[in-house]
Amino acid sequence: MFTPFPVLAAAFAAIALLASPASRAATLVKTEHVEADLVADKASAQPGKPLRVGLRLRMEPQWHTYWRNPGDSGLPTKIQWILPEGWKAGEIQWPFPQPLPVGPLMNYGYEDEVVLLAELTPPSSAPAGNASIKARADWLVCKDICVPEKGELDFVLPVASRDAGADPRFVGSVERALGMLPVDAAGWKYEAALQGKSLVVRLTPPEGAAAPTKATFFPERESLIEPAAPQRLTRDGRALRIEMKLADPPIAGMTSLKGVAVSDSGWNGSSGRKAINVAAPLGAPLGAPAASTSTDAPAGGGMFAALAFAFLGGILLNLMPCVFPVLGIKVLGFVEHAHGDARAMRLQGAIFFVGVVASFLALAAIMLGLRAGGTQLGWGFQLQSPVVVALLAALFFVLALTLSGVFEWGAFAQSVGARLSARGRYADAFLSGALATVVATPCTAPFMGAAVGFTLTQNAALSLAIFATLGAGMALPVLLLSFFPALLKRLPRPGAWMETFKQVLAFPLYATVAWLAWVLGAQSGNDAVFALLAGLVLVAMGAWTYGRSLHAEGVWRPTLAAILVAAGLVVAWPGGAMNASGSAAAATDDLQWQAWSPEKVRALTAAGRPVFVDFTAAWCVTCQVNKRVALHNASVIGAFAAHDVATLKADWTRQDPRITATLAALGRNAVPVYALYLPGEEAPRLLPEVLTPALVLAEIEKLPVAKTAVTQR
Amino acid sequence: MRLLIAAAFSIASTAALAAAPAGSPAPSFSATDINGKPVNLADYRGKTVVLEWHNFGCPFVQKHYRSGNMQSLQAKYGADVVWLSVNSTSRSSSDYAEPARLSTQLRDFHAAPAKYLMDDSGAVGMAYGAKTTPHMFVIDPAGKVVYNGAIDDKRSTDLGDVKTAKNYVAAALDELKAGKPVSIASTTPYGCSVKYR
Repeated sequence: MFTPFPVLAAAFAAIALLASPASRAATLVKTEHVEADLVADKASAQPGKPLRVGLRLRMEPQWHTYWRNPGDSGLPTKIQWILPEGWKAGEIQWPFPQPLPVGPLMNYGYEDEVVLLAELTPPSSAPAGNASIKARADWLVCKDICVPEKGELDFVLPVASRDAGADPRFVGSVERALGMLPVDAAGWKYEAALQGKSLVVRLTPPEGAAAPTKATFFPERESLIEPAAPQRLTRDGRALRIEMKLADPPIAGMTSLKGVAVSDSGWNGSSGRKAINVAAPLGAPLGAPAASTSTDAPAGGGMFAALAFAFLGGILLNLMPCVFPVLGIKVLGFVEHAHGDARAMRLQGAIFFVGVVASFLALAAIMLGLRAGGTQLGWGFQLQSPVVVALLAALFFVLALTLSGVFEWGAFAQSVGARLSARGRYADAFLSGALATVVATPCTAPFMGAAVGFTLTQNAALSLAIFATLGAGMALPVLLLSFFPALLKRLPRPGAWMETFKQVLAFPLYATVAWLAWVLGAQSGNDAVFALLAGLVLVAMGAWTYGRSLHAEGVWRPTLAAILVAAGLVVAWPGGAMNASGSAAAATDDLQWQAWSPEKVRALTAAGRPVFVDFTAAWCVTCQVNKRVALHNASVIGAFAAHDVATLKADWTRQDPRITATLAALGRNAVPVYALYLPGEEAPRLLPEVLTPALVLAEIEKLPVAKTAVTQR
Repeated sequence: MRLLIAAAFSIASTAALAAAPAGSPAPSFSATDINGKPVNLADYRGKTVVLEWHNFGCPFVQKHYRSGNMQSLQAKYGADVVWLSVNSTSRSSSDYAEPARLSTQLRDFHAAPAKYLMDDSGAVGMAYGAKTTPHMFVIDPAGKVVYNGAIDDKRSTDLGDVKTAKNYVAAALDELKAGKPVSIASTTPYGCSVKYR
């Protein structure tokens, strides 16, 4: 007989054999990937008194079996007890599961070993002697592939009138299993609500106690949430709020929620257990979180602090090298009109203001919309696309060429010439506001990371308010200038200096182009940078041709210019570069940076090493500045070595959902974030976004000196 | 500048799973079938389409093929509906099978899908949010997803369960043919995880 899958056929044959009536139960069943047997918490049973008996599955490394809710796929293990007359068996007592990511999917289950305990109660009339306990068990065990396995197990349990104590053979496994059973923690209050596309659970500790900073919620009900979507954690006063993405379509008619919350740091009143049972009726929406008591001061300052920081951060954005020239040009326009129509100028300033705020709102709305749809995005997401980076580089280059005087074209030239119609001027004001916004977003100025991180944990209206405030802060200086032209009087009268100033402004723009080329290189590699630069040469030729044509007759020159620019963009377009591998990690780093992963952080801290994680991205200017200023510093490097600190780099230059999720768990949604994980401490210490060597040293010097590393100095 | 701003708002693609819940328009796709021929969902507008996520390496799929369940559905409804089996197993998975091998297996099982799509990039699977093998979708002639979920209500690898199970796909197709709304339009799919990259 031909069989399509010989290996599996063999496995099936083996299983068929096991399942056939002729097969006899065994005390230990070894299948392809699992060793199964029965264990008990007592050496003997007492008539009428319950004891715990469990199915122990020991899986091959990296293979797993499933929890009661298996997540996106899989099957929970089933046990059917076959007991002597009069014995009763309870339900499986499920130890808390671990999340098991499989590509874009998520399962809940167990690796290595699991003991599924159940309470067995012998009748009070049970005779002394040996009782035969049998269990038919079915489990699905998976790694990359899945194999359904089963076993019929038997176990001889003595029955005696005296309590014989624990069975020494199983004491380790049983205690581990008992320690993993979720408990009811005293004094906690649980609330749950469906809010939009989210399931929100609030866990409020008893008076005077604190909730853990990190936890994972596992709902008992399948298909309730998207298991793979990261859970968003927020401090809510003393409480912890966990927000999960609902499955699409959501389950209809749910009135209550049951599940297990797991935290490595335990729960107040859980006697050291990591998992607690959570049950709550599904109630009214939980409202905005109360002011947080998190150690993260800016993010914890509540709504007003976040708004204030957003405003301040917005003002500071004006000084970023990529924003300043755009504003410089705007101010030049004002200088031109400072002695003209004051009303028109105020109107222009106001329209610029509206342009900035509206663009911030639009960007934020897009980001929130996509996040609600489950896409993992953070602030600055625009620059995670190589196409956008290349287009921005081309735009900055063209702007710089104009300022250098290669050609005169469009709104800038016209506004200097004051020949622009009123409507055109207003459109120009609005669009320069939008342009300033687009280029400003990646320049995460100080304070902004915290404000943006806070924002994304809020409801949509408050998020939008924060982004609007950020925009208002950024547009404020220009608005002030337009309303108080007296400030401009301090500047020289319009004249030849303006031409010089314009040409000088070209250089920050060229610098921005250089930086964007580097970002593109980190994303898509050397070839993409060459394509970009070659494209820019074509664009420059186009711009030059256009500039020459301005005073000439005919249409062929503008046509040629357009063709050249189009060709330049085609050449520069980073086709398919998203798949190219790249990294912001610079080879010149003096610190030994390793690639970040949550597993690595866990492994290193478990090995007793402190771990410093740099959440960074090539397009993040603040990150680069910090790297140069604080992390390249000799005494900092020495201190890291002396304290044996492992340095990991989490590179967010391109999309990485794991980094986004980790940042969210830290209450952030922008880089830079500097986190110091210490052995034995669940939550990392967060360093400020603007680093100085002294700041880093102060944090590191607090650590104990590593014995082995001292000699290295 | 407008163009630039529009471009700046465009988003880097992510590997996140999308979803095609019942009631939503079916995500369009074009893919290559097992014979290397292009298949476009749009070509089947006006017909009922069944999508079946498939992987012979998965014991849940084997249950429905060894019992003859899936083939009999394909044969029974084959005249009225376009049955597309989709294999989103990535080349890096040990469950991945070359088209030639799959063709032999399909023949040996007398499987009769209209087309068998090779989706080893996972693009079609991700667009539909296919989670398990099998995971079934029914798309009505207007291009709307009318069923998304499990093949039946007996979540197991037991061949014997097929006889007693309520087959959701057959029910949906019967209702659709009778011009009635699909009464059970979404269920939790069961099976092995789709072996995405």
